[in-house]
Amino acid sequence: MRAAVTLLMVTVAVLAQATVVNRLPFEWGPGPDLVLAAVVAVALTTSPAAAAGCGFAAGLAVDVLPPAEHPMGRYALVLCLAAYVLALLRTNTGFGGPTGSGVSAWAAVGATAVTAAGVGLGYAFVGFVMGDANITPAAVALHTGVGALLTTLASVLVTLPVLWVRSALTESDFATIQGPTSPGGW
Amino acid sequence: MFRDSPQSRLFLAVLVVAAVVLIAVDARPGSNPVTALARGGGELVFAPTAAGVGLVTGPAAELYEAVRQGPEAADRIAELEEANAELESQLAAARLDDGRADQLDELLHLSGLGSYEVVPAQAVTRTTARGYAHTVTIDAGTGSGIRPDMTVVNGSGLVGRVIEAGPRTSTVRLATDVNSTVGARLEQTRKIGAVTGGTVPGGPEADMTLELFDMEAPIESGDRVVTLGSHDGAPFVPGVPVGTVDEVQVAPGALSRIARITPAVDFSSLDVVGVVVGGPEEDPRDSVLPPKPEPEGDR
Repeated sequence: MRAAVTLLMVTVAVLAQATVVNRLPFEWGPGPDLVLAAVVAVALTTSPAAAAGCGFAAGLAVDVLPPAEHPMGRYALVLCLAAYVLALLRTNTGFGGPTGSGVSAWAAVGATAVTAAGVGLGYAFVGFVMGDANITPAAVALHTGVGALLTTLASVLVTLPVLWVRSALTESDFATIQGPTSPGGW
Repeated sequence: MFRDSPQSRLFLAVLVVAAVVLIAVDARPGSNPVTALARGGGELVFAPTAAGVGLVTGPAAELYEAVRQGPEAADRIAELEEANAELESQLAAARLDDGRADQLDELLHLSGLGSYEVVPAQAVTRTTARGYAHTVTIDAGTGSGIRPDMTVVNGSGLVGRVIEAGPRTSTVRLATDVNSTVGARLEQTRKIGAVTGGTVPGGPEADMTLELFDMEAPIESGDRVVTLGSHDGAPFVPGVPVGTVDEVQVAPGALSRIARITPAVDFSSLDVVGVVVGGPEEDPRDSVLPPKPEPEGDR
């Protein structure tokens, strides 16, 4: 149930990003990244491996959908690593409230902001390594800053609802008990 | 701080390797069956969704456009606030259809002037996920005869070229993209150069920059630039308006003359575009340029 609803929500985020957000003519370049906001919510409430899988799948979906302007796998790589690191930090350091209980709203928004900045830089780094002519220091600074800001604003509408739905659908009665390893599952 | 189980790490490593392999496979020039199949699948989901979104958001998008690009945006907002909501949406829908019809008319006019064979399409995405590349997606693909390296125009002039064509959608790299270079010719002196998207090193801040190879060629602001054209019309057919010269930079010791170009096309309000699928028998030269404006105009 939880996995199915999560899959549905992430799919809706991917499609909304590709067909609605990307349709808007932003003169400054990047728009809010709903996919990233949804993946952050999943990563905050699951094991690192599941978070990496979710980030990879969502990123690959963005890569596959038009426009085909960057090589497939570029966003999947960055989003997979970002989701893994976020979930790892969450399970090991327990920021934003004890592991198992809900993440506080401020921590979720803050995590989205930091992840958005990190993903922006990571995506630019992959482009830099591949010799993308669009990657210049000024462009990276502008796009990462504006993108992270807009994504943080959008996280209120995406990350928090996804978090809320996922914590409302927690299946296990033992989810609030912190164990040495996460029980896994989506 | 970074404790994790070996299985989890192994899973991450597998995903990272898969992503890197995909990048390496897809970044190679030429099409690849695996990625083409994946993109085809993505398109199967994307095309109907985008069409649905277009239907639903059409009037709203038109309103947004009108508000954003109106020269007297404040007046326009006040005017809109006064209007009744129902009338407003009716008006917007009507204007959308009129606007599209006008754009289509202009497009047909342009293609008629140059006797090009064009396939009309509509832009369904305008920004990209991270916003770096200047590309749009159009809702026509190989099913309509579109292939990579075809010229994309609209009623005003050159939009860009097709870089990827799927069965139902195609990706167009706009002429303002940094990776876009268009062979260009000055309308009057017929001197050739190259129009690059964005700014070239040492050039002024611009949407497009013209590099003229002849240092002695007379060039001044207001001169119009058309595409030079390539062999077999790929990627660019000749004679399509690119823009007008805005400012010429005089740089001592430079190997080429650099000029800032004002694009002929308003890229921020791209809607109906045409893909040139067949060129004329002969080079139309400047025949698709609109008549030169009268001197008592604003220039």
